[in-house]
Amino acid sequence: MQNGEKTVSIQSDRDLKVADVMLPIDMAPLADESTILKDVLEAMDRHRLGVVCIVDQKKHLTGILTEGDVRRKLLHVQKPFAALLADDAIIHAVRSPISITADVQLIDALDLMGEKKIWDLPVVDGDTRVIGLLHLHQAIRGVLDTLQQSKNSL
Amino acid sequence: MINKTIHLKSPHIDEIQIGHGKDLVLIAGPCAIESRDHSMKMADMIGSVCDKLGVRWIFKACYDKDCRSSPSSFHGLGLEEGLKILADVREAHGVPVTSDFSDPSWGSATGEVCDMVQVPAYLCRQTSMLRAAAATGKPVHLKKGQFMSPWNMKNSCRKLETFGNDQILLTERGTFFGYNMLVNDMRCFPIMQETGYPVCYDATHSIQLPTSMGNISGGQREFIPHLTRAAAACGIEALFMEVHDDPPSAMSDANTVLDFKYLELVLAQAKAMHEMRSELRAKWGEDCVHPE
Repeated sequence: MQNGEKTVSIQSDRDLKVADVMLPIDMAPLADESTILKDVLEAMDRHRLGVVCIVDQKKHLTGILTEGDVRRKLLHVQKPFAALLADDAIIHAVRSPISITADVQLIDALDLMGEKKIWDLPVVDGDTRVIGLLHLHQAIRGVLDTLQQSKNSL
Repeated sequence: MINKTIHLKSPHIDEIQIGHGKDLVLIAGPCAIESRDHSMKMADMIGSVCDKLGVRWIFKACYDKDCRSSPSSFHGLGLEEGLKILADVREAHGVPVTSDFSDPSWGSATGEVCDMVQVPAYLCRQTSMLRAAAATGKPVHLKKGQFMSPWNMKNSCRKLETFGNDQILLTERGTFFGYNMLVNDMRCFPIMQETGYPVCYDATHSIQLPTSMGNISGGQREFIPHLTRAAAACGIEALFMEVHDDPPSAMSDANTVLDFKYLELVLAQAKAMHEMRSELRAKWGEDCVHPE
C-alpha cells in the first residue's frame, strides 16, 4: 500500500467508531472464569470465532483465550487430552488482555490490531466491563464500505 | 486457584479445619458400626493415640454398607440405630463424626447427626447423591471413584457447588488397574488440588483388591505404611484409615482394615512426613518446575 492511499483511507473513515462495527455482546463469545476449556472451544465454534473473552460475574474482562493459546498449550503441556479439556479455561488464558473502548476511531483500532498482530479486540466500557468484540473482518468491512461510499460521492 | 479450607464443627472444642497449610487431620474408625460398645471402644482407643500424637481427628463408621459384594455380608445396623450410636460417640468422646450414605433419601438424617457426610466412591458422580450431600449443609467428603480420572472429579465438585456446597474434601482411594486390582497414582494429589479443595489419602481402601476373593475383597495391608508416607510426601491435608482392634473378626473390610496396634506407627510417620512437607514448602516454595 502506498502512503497516499493510506492517507485517503484514514481520512475517509474518520468518523467511523468501534461501536459502529463491533459485535454486540450477545454475538461475542463470553465465558465466566469457571468455564471449562471444552465448553470454551465449543463456544468459539458456535460463534465461528477464534477467541473467547473471559469475564467475572460482573462482566469485567479478566482474560482472553484464543485458538493460538490453545495450540501453544497443546504443544507444551503434556496433559492427557481429557485433563486439558477439564481445565478451567482461565488457567490457559492471557490475563490483562489488550482491550479498547467503543468510542475509539475504527482506524485507530485497526492500527492497534495491526501493531499487536491480533484479529479480535474486546470492547469494554469505562469500568472494563465487556460490551462487545471488534473482529478484524467487520472492521475491514466497515472501512471498505466507507471507502466505497466516499468514491461514490466523488 | 484459591486454596479452600473446610470447617468442621467439633463437639465441646474448637472447630477442625482441613486445608492447605493446616495440620494433618485423621479420619478413622471401624468400617462399619458393629455395635455401640465396639464403636465407643474404638473411639476411645483411636482418640488416645491421636491425643498422644497431637492429631485432630474425626470418627468414621458407616451404618449401612450398601456396596458389599455378597448379599450375605454384614450390611450394617441401619440408619436409625447407626446414627444414634454415632451421636452418642460424638457426645461421649467430644469428637466429630462422619458416615457415608448410599441413598439420597438418607442424606438429610445423616447430615443432622454427622459433622461431615461422605459420598461413596462408586457413587461419586451420581447427581442425586451429590444434591443430597450438598443439601445437608455439612462438609462433603467426596471419594474419587476407582474408575474416575482425578481431573474429572472437577465435574462432581461443580455439581456440589451448583447445589450450594463448596466445603469439599477430595479423597484418593485407588484407581482400577485391570480387574480386582487398585493402584495409587500419586499424581492424583496435585491434580485434585488444582480444584483448590483439600485432598485426603484413604490408606486402607487403596490397598484393597476389590472382590478378589470371589464374593469379598482382599487386600495387601502390608503396603499401608509405604503408600501413606508417599501420599503425605506428595501433599495431603487429611488421612483416612479404617482401624479395627481385631481385624480378623471385623464385620466389614476384614482384609484391609488397619490393626489398631499399628495406628500409632502409621499415623506418627504420616504426621512427620506432613510436617516435613510443610517445612520444605516454606524453604523451597510450591512445586513448580516448568520452564517459563
